[in-house]
Amino acid sequence: MIRMVSVSKEYPMGSEIYPILEDLTFHVPKGMLTAIIGPSGSGKTTLLNLIGGLDTPTHGQYFLNEQDVSHFSREQWAHERNRTIGFVFQSFQLITALSARDNVALPLVYRGIPPKVRRLQADDALEQVGLGHRRLHRPSQLSGGQQQRVAIARALIGDPALILADEPTGNLDQATGQEILELLQTLNRAGKTVVIVTHSAEVAQACRQIIQIQDGHVVTVAQEMERVR
Amino acid sequence: MTWRDGVLLAFKGMAGNKLRAILTMLGVIIGVAAVIVLVAIGQGASSLVTSRIETLGTNVIFVSPAGGTPFPASEAAMITRALPFPTLVVPEMNTGAKVSTLTASGGAQIVGTTSAYIHLGAISIAAGHFLTPLEIAQDQHVAVLGANQVQTLFGGSNPVGAAVMIMGQQFRVIGALNVVGQGPGASQDNDIFIPMTVAQSLLSTTQLSQVTVKTSSPDQANLAADYLTNFYTNAFGSATAVTVASEDQVLQTLQATRATFTNLLAGTAAIALIVGGIGIMNIMLVSVTERTREIGIRQALGATREDILLQFLLESMAMSLSGGTIGAIVGVGLVHLVPVLLKTPAVFSPNALILAFVFSTAVGLFFGLYPAIKASGLDPIQALRYDG
Ligand SMILES: Nc1ncnc2c1ncn2[C@@H]1O[C@H](COP(=O)(O)OP(=O)(O)OP(=O)(O)O)[C@@H](O)[C@H]1O
Ligand SMILES: [Mg+2]
Repeated sequence: MIRMVSVSKEYPMGSEIYPILEDLTFHVPKGMLTAIIGPSGSGKTTLLNLIGGLDTPTHGQYFLNEQDVSHFSREQWAHERNRTIGFVFQSFQLITALSARDNVALPLVYRGIPPKVRRLQADDALEQVGLGHRRLHRPSQLSGGQQQRVAIARALIGDPALILADEPTGNLDQATGQEILELLQTLNRAGKTVVIVTHSAEVAQACRQIIQIQDGHVVTVAQEMERVR
Repeated sequence: MTWRDGVLLAFKGMAGNKLRAILTMLGVIIGVAAVIVLVAIGQGASSLVTSRIETLGTNVIFVSPAGGTPFPASEAAMITRALPFPTLVVPEMNTGAKVSTLTASGGAQIVGTTSAYIHLGAISIAAGHFLTPLEIAQDQHVAVLGANQVQTLFGGSNPVGAAVMIMGQQFRVIGALNVVGQGPGASQDNDIFIPMTVAQSLLSTTQLSQVTVKTSSPDQANLAADYLTNFYTNAFGSATAVTVASEDQVLQTLQATRATFTNLLAGTAAIALIVGGIGIMNIMLVSVTERTREIGIRQALGATREDILLQFLLESMAMSLSGGTIGAIVGVGLVHLVPVLLKTPAVFSPNALILAFVFSTAVGLFFGLYPAIKASGLDPIQALRYDG
């Protein structure tokens, strides 16, 4: 699903160039449940942004679904994200002015799907995360765990093949975090590739592949082969 | 994003902050209403001139001395002789004076003239009669009052037969005129007409203020104007000693002045509209900043540059068009009120309405473009991180 070959990312800072990620090479197979771990500032979020095309690599090649997307334009990435990627963020990133339903339906707006169909699918997605009864609530009227479930509903609504989650349980308590993890596991069992950036050992242990990053390098890629079918 | 979603989103964005939207629209509302009302007032003024041309005809020319050019009463007969076709030649001497009755007093424009004046068609008799040749030949102290004079001196009641004091001499009122109304030229409503012979002794001069020549057609009027211009240029060796102007020319000059006036009003209103546009741009820039995170979220979920551009552009246009619609309604309403409140004619012009709409759409587009471009150019990562 995701194949990175010698990918690096640099940020210019004044006259100097800061390498954030250097020479990353790894592979996330289709249908995998992957954790990206590493110390704070090691470049996990940067890597996830590269995977989701919110940012582009400075060097190297990136294949998404066997397609070379290293040189995708902003517009191409917008379409790609809309069709094949669902995002879940640590800080939920819901639009405060919109109801849960309208937030969830947002990816479909950019597919040009008519409002009635959007509403039906959004309600269905909210039902899947157990929030069918809260569809008309604003984000401010929901708890953190509920907001994150709305965000997950939004990530799954367009039936994307890949779900990218950046510390999805970081702002939640233990029990709520567990619920969110279970939701992501369910999605993975349903066939979606799920990549989770996490600080939590518990979340990492629940994943079948662990990519450890340190100082911009991939240190280890561990897979529990016996559990991959 | 479909157009329909874009438009819905634009109106939702406005509805999300109604007070702000209305305050922002206020500039456009005032601008559009001003365009419609001011153009209507300008058109109203022009239509007065036009209607004047239509009722009076333009077969009249005015001959008047400039500066100290001697222009005695005998000029009237001179002009009649100078022209090779029959005309109606009416001499006039004018002066402002205090007038009074036993109970009232005021100022008036005293016009010493001949009985031919009534045939110019500019005035009509409401009561009594106009100056007769006999009264003039006998130097009778008689006077015909304009409508305003009847009002101020006699409270509107029939003045015929009453006495009126003009420059210390007593005159007998023999007639009263109908209202002429506020026109582009001088109105006769404030005038008091007396025999020219009497005016000469009253003012102890024979110098005329003006001679009006009425011909039988506009063509003949132009011909007469040419003749007289030549005649006086030869007589005085100067083209400016005596002014010869056809009514056509006078009215055209007036018309041009009115057109300038209308353009000036429309220009002022257009400036108001542009100021309204700047208000929209200002608020849209604030809105883009406030909604930076929303923009990042939309980008992460698949909004293209074009989607974001359209969203904000449509929102600014929704604002300017809503403002334009409200402004048009207010403007059309005011056009109906202006004649009542300001006693000035106002002619509603559909062109002003179209102009106002086109202009307000353009304003929304033009001033919305920069904020929209700014929004669509945001970097999604930075936008998602923004905390404002
Ligand atoms: N736009 C940027 N310009 C310059 N440097 C950046 C930029 N974005 C990130 N960095 C730097 O890149 C490094 C990696 O940042 P990143 O956010 O990927 O870390 P992280 O592993 O996600 O950390 P955390 O666990 O705290 O979220 C940091 O040192 C950060 O300062
Ligand atoms: Mg991070």
